[in-house]
Amino acid sequence: MIVVYLLIIIAGYRDVRCEMSKPALFSLHQALKRSFHSLEQNQKVWNSVLEECGPLMGSLGNLAEQLLALHGVKIPSTPLARFSDLQDRLRFKLLLAVDTVLEKLAEKMCSLQSVRDAVGNQVTAAFQVYEQHADTVDLVTCLQRAAAVPSIADMLEWLQDAEGYYRQQYLRRKALLQALKPNDLADLQSTPKRWEALATPEREDSVSDTLLRVSFFMDSP
Amino acid sequence: MMRMKVLPLDIGDAGTQRCRLGPGLMASLGLRIASPVHITISGGECLCIAWPRCDLAEGFLQFDTKCTTKDLKAINFNDLSVSAKQIRAICTQKLKSVRVNVVVQSIEVKKHSSSSFIHDHVKEMLRGMCVAGQYVVDVSHLKTQVELILIEHLDPCCTDAGFVTSKTSVNIGEIQTLNNYRCQLQKPSSILLGGLEDVCASLKEILNLPLCYPGTLQKLGLSCPKGVLLIGPPGVGKTMLVRCVVMEVGASLVTVNGPVILGSRPGESEENLRRMFKRASEAAQEGPCVLFIDEIDSICPRRTGSTSAPQNRVVAQLLTLMDGIGSDERFVIIGATNQPDTLDPALRRPGRFDREVIIGVPTLHQRKSILDVLSSKMSLSDNVDFVALAEMTTGYVGADLSALCREAALQAILRGSQDSQSHTVDMKHFLEALKKVQPSCLRSSIGLTDFKPISWDQIGGLEDVKLKLKQSIEWPMKFPEAFIRLGLSRPRGILLYGPPGCAKTTLVKAAASSSHCAFLSVSGADLFSPFVGDSEKTLAQLFRQARACAPSVLFLDEIDSILGSRSDSRAPHSVQARMLSVLLNELDGVGLKIQERRGTQRTNCQLEGSIEFQQERQMDYQEVCNKDVMIVAATNRPDALDSALLRPGRLDKIIYVPSPDMEARLAILEICTKRMPLESDVCLEALAQQTHLFSGADLENLCKEAALLTLQEESMEASSIKHKYFIKSLQSMTPSLKDQQIDRYKHLFTS
Repeated sequence: MIVVYLLIIIAGYRDVRCEMSKPALFSLHQALKRSFHSLEQNQKVWNSVLEECGPLMGSLGNLAEQLLALHGVKIPSTPLARFSDLQDRLRFKLLLAVDTVLEKLAEKMCSLQSVRDAVGNQVTAAFQVYEQHADTVDLVTCLQRAAAVPSIADMLEWLQDAEGYYRQQYLRRKALLQALKPNDLADLQSTPKRWEALATPEREDSVSDTLLRVSFFMDSP
Repeated sequence: MMRMKVLPLDIGDAGTQRCRLGPGLMASLGLRIASPVHITISGGECLCIAWPRCDLAEGFLQFDTKCTTKDLKAINFNDLSVSAKQIRAICTQKLKSVRVNVVVQSIEVKKHSSSSFIHDHVKEMLRGMCVAGQYVVDVSHLKTQVELILIEHLDPCCTDAGFVTSKTSVNIGEIQTLNNYRCQLQKPSSILLGGLEDVCASLKEILNLPLCYPGTLQKLGLSCPKGVLLIGPPGVGKTMLVRCVVMEVGASLVTVNGPVILGSRPGESEENLRRMFKRASEAAQEGPCVLFIDEIDSICPRRTGSTSAPQNRVVAQLLTLMDGIGSDERFVIIGATNQPDTLDPALRRPGRFDREVIIGVPTLHQRKSILDVLSSKMSLSDNVDFVALAEMTTGYVGADLSALCREAALQAILRGSQDSQSHTVDMKHFLEALKKVQPSCLRSSIGLTDFKPISWDQIGGLEDVKLKLKQSIEWPMKFPEAFIRLGLSRPRGILLYGPPGCAKTTLVKAAASSSHCAFLSVSGADLFSPFVGDSEKTLAQLFRQARACAPSVLFLDEIDSILGSRSDSRAPHSVQARMLSVLLNELDGVGLKIQERRGTQRTNCQLEGSIEFQQERQMDYQEVCNKDVMIVAATNRPDALDSALLRPGRLDKIIYVPSPDMEARLAILEICTKRMPLESDVCLEALAQQTHLFSGADLENLCKEAALLTLQEESMEASSIKHKYFIKSLQSMTPSLKDQQIDRYKHLFTS
């Protein structure tokens, strides 16, 4: 008899806990939804900015090649010998163009940074909400998966992964641009290739996958 | 207690600092998602962030080693299991500031990157991480120029771990390169050197001056020595010496191996060489550095004509590179070789290899200290006497001695009783091992012979000859003190002459087996070669090897066939005459080659009268007395020898081995028939009387004949030899010696 009573009490307690954790779970789900919505928008922005960076990088490589060619040619031995300061003028023009491209790239980097920060802030916010409710939402609840709603643990993990991806990408791209040296033309010329090599399509895909996985969850009220 | 199996990390989790646990374990440890945990594993510690496993399975652990202590690095986690006790939750704070050291990829990054760039970079990398003091954060997975971040100090300092947020300020202390960091990480494992103290000290001095006090030398206007060439036979510990000295000086070591340098493409070898020098000079920019070229003779042989152009190019490249080292660059080149003669002479001049350090085969003292060092970790029983062992191991180098100790320990394990737990190494194990381990300097020697040891008792008669031999070979080893006291030196050479078959060779064998010294025996077959000059070279090499493992006995049997006489005018420039001149030179030439130098003068600082001092004195005498090679020659045609060879100082002890007289013959017969069952009527005295002019060999033959005759006459079942068979076989034999012959021997040196 006592055992039965105990069981009833425990069941009741669990019910109470469930009742208690319901609002907490709801607010947590809302925070996650907000984060995923923000991630969806930011992903679009990130991809479009990266696409715009491509041509800029191409022109940077072109300019480097032109500078190299200019370095190699001996103007006095060509018909253009009459223009005495032609080489310097050309170099100045090209360097000016390089500066313009780099400026534009810096702008793009700024927008990439804002994307990174926005994602980072959203993820931090989601984690903060989890921390607040961590006492009421126990681990078992966090690990419950449903057909339309992934578990909280999974969603937090995906968010963190996405944030990590943007941070790593930004860091490596910024490091590449900052390591550029104006007098090392060969290095400058190979920059577009190295820029391309920095992309990690599989991790980019995993961000898209995440958004697909949570699409039902995001659409739910 | 539940144990968890450690699995390798999922690729997706790399660099996230996550550790994947089963949800049940997380609940029991009171962990939430993303709360920091501390894992103690295989000697190190690791900081992680707890996450439930995707499949929610229990009993497995996966963790990212992004933030660990230094000692956890490079440990294989395969087949490892941990208990829940090794994982604990920790409480953390947000950090106000953190001070770090940064390890970057290469020296270029260190030079060219601005500090603000590295600061931003490091701050960005650390954000969101859980760190603790003295931990290492591995950021190599980001593939930027920063490889590692060493956490030095946290603020607030009372916490043992904390989270780095965007508000945490990051201070960067030192920036160093990966190579330098790895060098520092290598534990200073103590390499113990025995017997090389003086060489070690002089090498350390050479290294210390330019490496640690470059300013002082510049003030004096000195250019520092840049190169040291180590010369010594294989196995004396050249490579180990360099490693030890480098470790003590605290320099980084770049090792160049000849075979690695040489490439198949034209120009590849030079390129490799340039790369090694570049690496050394890069390392030298951060701290003292030593470029060690082992077996330098393989990449820098003597340049010859046009036959080996690629080889010559490598040599030229090495010379140019060595000249190119600026005096401001703090690196020293050490080359090691055992064939200094094959090196290009241009290499051995000041400015390239300024100094040459010669490490000889260890002397008695050095062997003792090597044995002391080697056995310091062995459990020895009390009866092990290293002085005696050092005396026995003439010609052993360090590598041989370590092989000896290993073999002795192995003997102790194999022979030791199974039940006794404590294996102690006994003197008898060492003696057993001594039979198996031969000195390596004798391994390639032509004169090394394997013979059955013979004791003095096995030779009948010839008592005074035995005494003379003992005086000249055994006494200097056994009583060096007495020899020194009376100002005696041991004879340089001994000539045994006498009629054939009178046990000359057997006498030398007995002398060699009674004294523990290296015994080399050569005959004409070993020495003569169809090439001009080859025989002389072989003989000189033989002497060199014999000197390396002095005290040693060099036995030249039938010396009259090896050496000619210069007075013999038939062939004034024959091989024999040239051999003679080589031998005379080796016996008492002006001096030794520089490379054969062994040990240096020692200073004694012990108090007189102590037991150790007396032991040391004894060893000193031993060394002084027995530093030479002794020649023992045997011939039965002493008249054919050159007179220069027979003067004092060369073969100064000339011993006549006479044909056995009556008593000697009796003794010989007794020894020969010791294992034969004789009938009671056999009278050996009578036989001895009847065998006038019989040599030892004849007498042995007589006994054999008699035994054979017994089997022939009686039956195969004959059990003893009768006297009549001796008589019968005696009748059929004639003595091999003649009176006239013996007279000639007797009066050879007296007339």
